[in-house]
Amino acid sequence: MNRKPTTASSSNSLPTDNSKNNGDEKDKGDQMFECNICLDTAKDAVISMCGHLFCWPCLHQWLETRPNKKLCPVCKSGISKEKVIPLYGRGSTNQEDPRNKVPPRPSGQRAEAETGSGFGGFGFGDGSFQVSIGIGAFPFNLLVSAFNFTSHNPSDNQVENDRGPVISKIFLFLAFALVFWMIFGL
Amino acid sequence: MANIASQRIKREFKEVIRSEEVARCSIKVELLDDNYSQLKGEIAGPPDTPYEGGKFLLEIKVPETYPFNPPKVKFLTKVWHPNISSVTGAICLDILKDQWAAAMTLRTVLLSLQALMASPEPDDPQDAVVARQYKGFPEIFISTAEHWTNIYAGGSRKKEEYSKKIERLMGIGCNMDQALVALSGCNWDLDKAIEQIFG
Ligand SMILES: [Zn+2]
Ligand SMILES: [Zn+2]
Repeated sequence: MNRKPTTASSSNSLPTDNSKNNGDEKDKGDQMFECNICLDTAKDAVISMCGHLFCWPCLHQWLETRPNKKLCPVCKSGISKEKVIPLYGRGSTNQEDPRNKVPPRPSGQRAEAETGSGFGGFGFGDGSFQVSIGIGAFPFNLLVSAFNFTSHNPSDNQVENDRGPVISKIFLFLAFALVFWMIFGL
Repeated sequence: MANIASQRIKREFKEVIRSEEVARCSIKVELLDDNYSQLKGEIAGPPDTPYEGGKFLLEIKVPETYPFNPPKVKFLTKVWHPNISSVTGAICLDILKDQWAAAMTLRTVLLSLQALMASPEPDDPQDAVVARQYKGFPEIFISTAEHWTNIYAGGSRKKEEYSKKIERLMGIGCNMDQALVALSGCNWDLDKAIEQIFG
């Protein structure tokens, strides 16, 4: 960082400087994956359209701090919750449900393989609605999936014909119970 | 202090110490307490400016909401500059206000302040008197800023004429700071300065 390692060792009398320099080089590799806000290794990482990496909690807090002027903390280009992409490393991220974390991280957007469906990104029907709604409350997710279930039911009534209505009734009952719980129980 | 703030300052502090600007003695940061909320900064006056050769001390206060909000910075060393109060050291710089971004660091703040010293913005002044002089009497501004740098920051350029006028005022009961502010603000017109102080 300061000089070439060879000259640094000859000009710097302190032996600790050498080991520190080695540490620096290792750090440089890791810096690639450091959050631009907390400067630590990015956790629940998201990346902006301008290519800058953040922890989702860090970026969320930054966007909350300036709700009227949402700019990338690094390059000041426009940035929004809808336009950041979560990064999932192998294995580590799926172990904990990101919805259990506050604030919830925006969900990955699964584009359809065919180019015809103009609606693929928003994900209202495929269950990712649960994540992107941004509340992260467990009962609410259940509620949404319960309604999804019932709405799917009429379309494929071959196998589920006998069990489907019963389950959906149970879910509906649960859903209403939860609504009551949410309204009166708090 | 919130954990993220102190964690970040800790990292930034290391970054500044290792930076090449420190190696060149251009910027410096010192910790004043254990929880990383108070720091002392130092910047060298940029070359080819009236501040060349001077060392300028800064007070840096890190809010609990850092880095989501900017650090509070002001000059401890008195300085004659359109965007810095000659009395309080308060700074008018956009990145310390609404243009702050969370990815900025102590290092970028200090470098921005150095850049501000090199290129004042008189249309967005912190000190209106200085700004007026900067626009209306640029030569007087330069020699005045040099004189301030000499007195407060250890610069080498000064004007004998200015020193004599300051002594005159000190001879009739002013202290040095008072005399310097009055004379600088009156474009070194002794009569006007006397009138301003005693009138
Ligand atoms: Zn972070
Ligand atoms: Zn960016």
